[in-house]
Amino acid sequence: MSSVLQSKFLWLGFIAVITVIPIVGSPYIVGVMCFIAIFGGLAVGMGLLLGQAGIFSLAHPVWFGLGGYVSGILAVRGIASPWLGSIIGAIFVGFVSYVIGAPLLRLKGYYLACATFGLLIIVQTSLGQIKSLTGGHEGLMGIPPFSFGGFVLETDLHYYYLFWALCLACLWFLYNLMGSRMGRAIKSFHDSEIAARSMGINVPLYKLKIFIITSVMASFAGSFYTCYLRFAEPGIFGFSLQVQLMTMVIIGGSRTLYGPLLGGFVVMWLMELINMYLGKVLPRMGAQVNALFFGILIIVILIFMPGGLSGWTDRLLNLGRRTIGKSSG
Amino acid sequence: MGKAADDVLLDVRGLSKHFGGINALSGVTFSVPKGSIISMIGPNGAGKSTFINVVSGIYVPDAGEIHFLGADITGIPAHIMAANGIGRTFQLLELFNSLSVLENVMVGCHAKSQSGMFACGLSMPSALKEEKRIREEAMESLAMVGLESRAHDPISHLPLGERKMVGIARALGMKPKLLMLDEPAGGLATHEVEGLIRLIHLLVERGLTLFIVEHNMPFVMSLSRRILVLNEGMKIAEGPPEEVRANEEVIKAYLGEEVC
Repeated sequence: MSSVLQSKFLWLGFIAVITVIPIVGSPYIVGVMCFIAIFGGLAVGMGLLLGQAGIFSLAHPVWFGLGGYVSGILAVRGIASPWLGSIIGAIFVGFVSYVIGAPLLRLKGYYLACATFGLLIIVQTSLGQIKSLTGGHEGLMGIPPFSFGGFVLETDLHYYYLFWALCLACLWFLYNLMGSRMGRAIKSFHDSEIAARSMGINVPLYKLKIFIITSVMASFAGSFYTCYLRFAEPGIFGFSLQVQLMTMVIIGGSRTLYGPLLGGFVVMWLMELINMYLGKVLPRMGAQVNALFFGILIIVILIFMPGGLSGWTDRLLNLGRRTIGKSSG
Repeated sequence: MGKAADDVLLDVRGLSKHFGGINALSGVTFSVPKGSIISMIGPNGAGKSTFINVVSGIYVPDAGEIHFLGADITGIPAHIMAANGIGRTFQLLELFNSLSVLENVMVGCHAKSQSGMFACGLSMPSALKEEKRIREEAMESLAMVGLESRAHDPISHLPLGERKMVGIARALGMKPKLLMLDEPAGGLATHEVEGLIRLIHLLVERGLTLFIVEHNMPFVMSLSRRILVLNEGMKIAEGPPEEVRANEEVIKAYLGEEVC
């Protein structure tokens, strides 16, 4: 079996599973899977920047939040429908990430992490302070639900398909991209910038492009998410989200594209389990137990599986590919 | 433009580069004719690698001019130099370790392809067609250095000699007019050096111009039409191998080292 055929098979299988889950699963499962699509999808963008392009950006929640706020504000004021608003939000975020990314991406490693962390704090504080526009810390209320023509998305099930459609579309785009000349260029400057430049790769331009692409994807996720919540609040897009995304990236592994999504799946379900069972034993300790548990899990993963869960599954897949290849001649 | 200028591929005049108080290059002048093999030798720290880095656009020179195919290319960034036809390898390999052997060579084809982010991300037919072409060209480059069978191996599975060949194949993927090799024979076994010499002759036959920086004296002496000797950033000798071998200053610069 050729690897192209095999990957098509995996894609179709994955889409089939996602489609079938709401039919066989309970509403509770559908609800959790909604969050996995959004946060796992965000983690994919962040993992790609971190693990494959070597861009240590902590600003991912910024693009998620700005997208959510732009479409939310436009919808609340009746200027644009959420659908149009999400596109306007994406254009806005694309522009802002270009203006900020162009100077910031000249920084490397931890310096870039510090600068983007600063950006995260600035944007979160501003969202809380510009009360007339954003509603401040009380939040932006009354965001209308998403609608296509006359069809209004109201239930978790509707949003489940919307979120997964977005998540899979982004994943598919990035999968194609990373398998192309652009993807090789992005991976190459992570390994050796001097060699990449000597091969004709305009490194600063490519860094900026992939930064903008993942930002715009996060912006769409933000717009869709605020429509789902019908509400936006600066705290949703803050440092705690960044920590959560980082946990997903590390647990899932950032060397593969699907790793952070797998990480998102594992982290979200573990959190559900912790809340469900430990909530009864230690009723007021949920947050602390979560922090302690994931702290230890990250350390264990970093020591014993530096490639994350996907590093491990990737090896299994490759092993399968090689044995299949051998047996068929 | 005269006939002489047409025959010159690379022309370097008064090239200087310093790092703090150290003059890595001072006033180096020489030219590389089309279709020839020119070598540069010199003791450690003579400025050989700096020279390649300046010509390939990694460093901007402090003084001097670089002309390539008659056009002034001084200070142009590396990725444009690459697109213009200057290919190179690295002393410390600088291979892309997270990519396979074939993918490394495919990165070399980058400058000669143009599908954009969206064409690639949406898997448009034009991008897929170009991808196929890149793959074929990369396989040809790998075949030239005799590594087709290793195409899908990770870089880490290859011994040093084969890695050096991947570096050359990657540079060949760029379809360069000038190929600069930074210590291609360093650390190679005798039979590998012989293979390298055969490859270099094959490349020159195909119309490529080579500029080689090397420590391995017999290798340089047997291959080069002209040799340039660098010491402490300055050109101390230039000429055919026999002449350079007899030059007193060269012998002094290599004090204690035997110039064969």
